[in-house]
Order: sequence, then structure tokens, then C-alpha cells
Amino acid sequence: MRMAVSLNRWSGGWVRAFVTIGLTFALTAVLIAFSGKSPITAYEALFRGAFGSFDRAAFALNKATPYIISGIGIALCFRAGIINIGAEGQIALGGLAATWVALSWPQANVLVGIPLAFLGGAVAGALWSGVAAAIHVGRGVNEVLATLLLNFVALLLVGEALHDRLGEPGAGFPQSPLFEPNYWLSTVITGLQLHVGVIIAPLAAVGGYVLLRYTTLGFAIRVMGTSRSAATYAGFSVPWLTIRLMLMAGALAGLAGAIEVLGIHYRLIEGFSNGFGFNAVVVALLGGLHPLAIVPAGLFFGFLEAGALSMQREVGVPSSLVSVIQGLTMLFVLAALASTRQRTN
Amino acid sequence: MDGFSLLEMRGIAKSFGAVRANDGIDIDVGAGQILGLLGENGSGKTTLMKVLFGMVRPDAGRIVFRGTAVSGHDPKQAIALGIGMVHQQFMLVESMTVAENVMLGWERAGRWLAAAEIADEIRETSRRYGLDLDPEALVGDLSLGRRQRVEILKAILRGAELLILDEPTSNLSPPEVGGLLTVMRRLKAEGKGTIFISHKLGEVLEICDDVIVLRDGRVAGRRSVADATRAELARMMVGRNVTDPLSRAEQTPGVSLLSVERLNVVDASGTPSVSEVTFDVRVGEVLAIAGVDGNGQIELAEALAGLRSSSGRVVIAEKDVTRESVAARVAAGLSYIPPDRGRTSMVASMSIAENLAMRDVRRRPFSRAAWLSRRAIMANGSRLIKSYAIRAPSPATPAGQLSGGNQQKVVVARELDRKPQVLIALQATWGLDPGATRFVLEEVLALRGAGAAVLYISSELEEVLAIGDRIGVLHAGRLVGLFERKDIDLEAIGLMMAGAHEAKTGLAA
Repeated sequence: MRMAVSLNRWSGGWVRAFVTIGLTFALTAVLIAFSGKSPITAYEALFRGAFGSFDRAAFALNKATPYIISGIGIALCFRAGIINIGAEGQIALGGLAATWVALSWPQANVLVGIPLAFLGGAVAGALWSGVAAAIHVGRGVNEVLATLLLNFVALLLVGEALHDRLGEPGAGFPQSPLFEPNYWLSTVITGLQLHVGVIIAPLAAVGGYVLLRYTTLGFAIRVMGTSRSAATYAGFSVPWLTIRLMLMAGALAGLAGAIEVLGIHYRLIEGFSNGFGFNAVVVALLGGLHPLAIVPAGLFFGFLEAGALSMQREVGVPSSLVSVIQGLTMLFVLAALASTRQRTN
Repeated sequence: MDGFSLLEMRGIAKSFGAVRANDGIDIDVGAGQILGLLGENGSGKTTLMKVLFGMVRPDAGRIVFRGTAVSGHDPKQAIALGIGMVHQQFMLVESMTVAENVMLGWERAGRWLAAAEIADEIRETSRRYGLDLDPEALVGDLSLGRRQRVEILKAILRGAELLILDEPTSNLSPPEVGGLLTVMRRLKAEGKGTIFISHKLGEVLEICDDVIVLRDGRVAGRRSVADATRAELARMMVGRNVTDPLSRAEQTPGVSLLSVERLNVVDASGTPSVSEVTFDVRVGEVLAIAGVDGNGQIELAEALAGLRSSSGRVVIAEKDVTRESVAARVAAGLSYIPPDRGRTSMVASMSIAENLAMRDVRRRPFSRAAWLSRRAIMANGSRLIKSYAIRAPSPATPAGQLSGGNQQKVVVARELDRKPQVLIALQATWGLDPGATRFVLEEVLALRGAGAAVLYISSELEEVLAIGDRIGVLHAGRLVGLFERKDIDLEAIGLMMAGAHEAKTGLAA
């Protein structure tokens, strides 16, 4: 399954992205109506929950951050035809590594500790992705399987660490002790929960864009995504490119995990990143694999989740409905991709 | 004309935007008649046939088929009327048998597939038309020639009175072409009409009754084959003379530029596809290799270009590149024109300029350190578009929007502009019309004149004979003969291509 050929054709996708989102909301409205609630009231609550106050918006932006950062790495892989869905595990391990740094050197200076924790997260994510890359390139195992299955191992590793060395003694819940405040990501605007991690997301997007458009590596990615045989002919090494891109995506996902842990919870909690990696795949696809378009796509998901809670609170529609919306978005994105492929063939 | 008229198309016109693909075309096909439809890529043949088959609505004109006016039809209705089309890309399911493929999407086969009846019918029809098909055979196991016959069989069983064959010989080996022509004669004898679309003048002259030449969406000429000559048809197609023998300066080859010693390639399943191939190509020399497709040509070319692992020794301009990567070989002065534009030599989604820089992008001026120089890439694109007369609106146009001939010009421009010491060309004129073919051959000879060594591999014997200073034959992965141009023995080459040398002399390599 070389999906990327058709993925690359998802260009000028604004219209399709909006149609996708519109259809999703329409279908979800039907589901809400079936449960006996008014979709209009529910969506009103959702909207207010997402944009109703600066705090709500900050919450949504924080939510969007890991989606965007890991979505960029995923998009770079997909553009090269590497279907890497290992972000889920890489984010979790990134969080684990950042936690280990924070707990090992609790008194480190802010300017040393936080970069070190970021670095630790990125390295852990890259290493985990590197394992998948080694299995894929070295042994020829399909990359979808290698990355997907390693996710489960990664999540178990995090759980194991929390039940063992990194766990908070006597907490009764698998979580680490609270970090020292010098490891808390500072807030951008005083009084708001918005942490500095949100600045990294747009930087990653711009970086991804520049990489694709202005570097020889980006050129190689675009050639390889269309045809591996053309990439080999052009003198690029497909295995080496695969390894580099997977390491890059792993580092970004690991960084996203570190930011989440240092910026939101100030501790590692089991399951802190559940679903992040898979949502990031949907965000990357919804953004048409275009690094800059991934920013609005990620924001959409972030605001959706922010609004979900108030929708539940005010209208009594379960917040898990948001997972339905996310799932449907994925479905419609894939359907739209399939239909473009049929038309272009 | 013989018999009653089966098909009349009058004044067919169709425009796509500003392009007049068909501009008032009239054609007639009689029962039991084979009409050749000639024309360069983009001359309007495909559009005309799509109009006939109901895939495209014409802007004007009328179609009369078996005495009834036909309009507004779709392909399904066209089939019901008795028009069958065999596309260049076969529409077969490889994992199914011949019988299953025939039944697929055929209402008559019913919801509960009447497999046994259909199989009998296939045997019967296959015998009658000399198709030689076994209904139980898996399509995936069949050669391309056989698969094409399955398509023909499908059309006949669905009641086709008129068959459209769209460039049916372009991916067949010479013996398969012979087989197809035999089938076409049977179709003719059974009273079916055939429209035969082709670039190849020889085949058209051999099999057709009448021939119509299209150029720029109009009929450039119609002839009865009896009074048409190859040169005249070619002139009508391209509007200039392309059948004159290529002019080649006599030159004495110099030192060896490409030296290959005991090259062996083994494919993934462990079978050798190139065995013990040894040869030299010298300065200012073209070594042309003939052979039926599938005898190790692609493996040989890819091994030399560094795309496939091999054992043996490869030396380019006194530099041993046996262990070098693709990129290092390019840097050493090796250019390679691969056979397939679709997957290897061209990236359809990227711009013409990017395609022109594709194999040199990691060197100056196209990049510095890791950064692309988009300006240098575009400037190079504009320059090559001009100097190779590539018909393209702009260097930023996606390469996939170009016609096949212009795409190949892009590939040729890229590979020759490098001023290579050695050029390897494999099926470099595949799918090209005579004008574009001529262009490629002339460019290759110009490169020879400039002192490069050329390895020209093709299954078109005519081209091999026209271009080679020496001619070799590749059979079953072995280089079984090498002739100097002056000692060419056509019969011996033919026998070697067919593999007869082994039985006769036991000679190998």
C-alpha cells in the first residue's frame, strides 16, 4: 500500500477540509438529535467551551500543541511515502524521558534543565522511532506494523516506570511526583495557562515547510513520495532517507511528549497522551500533509476537545462524542483521498 | 470500399479549452475492413476514439453505426451497440482466470455465474479466431500478448462488430506482434471491422486496408494502403521528412570509456538475469544491443547505472565504479535514460525544472550545502526547454502535463546536458511517435559525435541497426554476439534473438 502517491495529490485542499469538517458536524448533529438533545444547543455549548474565555482558548491552544508538533513529523514521513504511525508511543516515551531528566536533576537551572528535558524527550522519541526504522529498513517489515506495534510496547514501558522507579510513593495512582517548579514551562501571558510550548508548534510548522520547499532533503522527500524507483534513480538512498525521516518524526513526537508533561501536568501520569499520536495522524492528513496547513488542522482538534467538556457539562451530551467527531473526520478525510485517487487515475 | 459501411463519423469536433483536439474529422469503416489510424501523440487519435466509445462528448459531428445514428452514449451502451475497445492498459484482474475475467461485469454471465457454459464458449471462440486461450488459465500467468487476446476475446463475446485497438503492439515482443496480426486477419475474415491505432508504419502497411493520418486534430491524409508509402505516411504525420537515413559521420573509435567485465545480476528469486556479460564501448562509439524484451536488458542497464546490485567489474573513463552509488556514477559522467517515464525517469507531480535538475540537485549550482537554489533550477529549466525545443508553457509546469514525447525530451535533455562520458539508453524511444523518435536518435548520434560512449539497448531491431557502430544481441541474459556495423548479418541476428544460436553452435557469450 503506497498511500503517499494519492496523499500528495491532496493539494489545494482547503475546500475539501471544510467540506470534511462540515459533513462531520452534520452527521454528529444527527447523533446528538438521536440522543434526544438539541444539536444546536450542544454545538453552542461546544463553541462557548472552546472560545468562551481566554482561559478556554488557552486550554485549546495547549491541547493543539502536541498534535501540531508530532503532526509535522508524521506529514514529512507521509510525504515521502513512509506510513509512520508510531507517534503515539514516541510521545509517551518523550514524556517519560523528560520526567526522568526532571526527577534526576531536580535542582537544575531553568535554562539548563528545561532544554535538557526537551532534548531527553526528543532523543527518546527518536530512539523509539529508530527501532521501528531499523526493523523496517533492516528486516523489510512493513513500517505500518513496526511503528504501530511498538506503540503498545512504549505505553507499557511508561506504565512500568510509573509503577516502579518513577512512581510517586503512596499516590495510589500511577503518576510521578510533582516536578520542582524550575521544570514548569512558564506561561506566555501572565494569568493564563498558555505555556511557552505553543510557540514551538508554529516554529516546527515553519521549519517543516522550509525543509520541504527549500532544501535538498525536502526535494528528495518529494521525489521519494511519488516514486521510490525515481528517488533511487535520482541518486537518493531510499533506506537512508527513511531512517532520517523516521528519526526526525520520532524526535518531534518525543519533544511533544516532553512539552505536554512539563507544560500541563508538571508530572508524568499514566495515559497522559492517550490518543495523541493517532489524532496527530488525522491532523496531518486533515492538513493535507502541508506543514503550514497542519497548524489550523491541529487547532481545530484542540478547540474541539476544549469545547467537549462544557458541552457535556451544560447539555449533558457525553464528551466522548468528540472522539466520534474526530473519528468521523478521519473517515471523511480518507474518503476524500480515495475519491481524488479514483478521479486522477 | 468493401461491404456495407459499419461506421461513419462525420465532422467530429472536440475542444479542450483552447486546444482543438478534433477539428472536423470524417472517418468510415466497412465490415471486414481494417482502418489504420496514424498520428503523433496529441494529434487527436485518442480523443476521436473516446468520442466513438462514448467516453467523451463531441462538440459537433455525428456518428452512424450499422445504419443508426448514435449520440449521447456511454461506454456501456457502446459495447451493447457492438463497439469494443482494447485499451493500451489492460483492464484485467490478474488473480482471476480468463473465464472469470470474461464474465466480470458482463450481465449475460448472470448473477450465478454460468462458468461451464462460458468456458465452452471461450474455447469455441478462441478456436475460431485463433486466440489460443485456455479459460482456466490465470491471467497473472499470461504474457502481455496473451492478456491482450483476453481483452479481444471479451470484446468479441460481448458482440463487438467493430474493434478499436489502441496502440496494441506497443508492449508486445516481435513474435507476439506477429500473433496479433494473425488474429486481426481472422477478425477481418469473420467480417468484423477494426480500427488499428499505431505509430508503427510498418505494421500499418502490413495489416491495414485503408489508413487515415491525423495531425493537429485534422485529417492530414487518407490512403488506400496499396498506394501508400512509408515515407509519404511519415511526412503526413509530422509534416516533415523523418524517414531519411540518419546521417552519421564515420569516425574511428578511440580508447575505452565504458568497460564491463563478467557482469552478473541475480534477481530476488535467485535466478540469474544477466550472466557473464563482458564488453567495451569506446570514445565516439555506439554499441547497440538488440534482443527480445525480458532477456536481461533492464537488469543490465540498471546494474550499470548502479540501481541494482551485481557482481563483476564496471569501469567508466578509467575509474572503477563497481562499488559506487548511483550518485557517484552520475558524478563520474554516466548518464542513463531508463525505459519507464511513469515510475523512474520522471516525477509527474513535480515541475519540469525540478525534473531537469533531479539527478544533479545535490551539486552546484542547484544547491549549496543543504539549500536548494530555486533560481538556478528554474534558470536551467528555461534554458533546456529552449535548447531542446520542449513544448511546455513554463518550467514550473508539472511534468505530468506534458505529452509523452515532450516528457522524453525532458529526460533526454537532463541526461545529455550533463555532457556525459558514457550514456546508457534503454528503450529510449518507447511509446514515442516518429518525430520524437527521430529527435532521440539524432541527439544520441550528436553525443557520439561529441566523443561519448553510448550503450543503446532496444527491442526495436530497426533502431539498433540504424544507430549502432557495433551490434550485440542479448539473449537469456547473455551477450551472444557482437557484429561490426560492416559485417551485419541480419539472419544471424534474428536467430540469436530467437535463441537459436545455442542449439546450433552451443556458443555462449
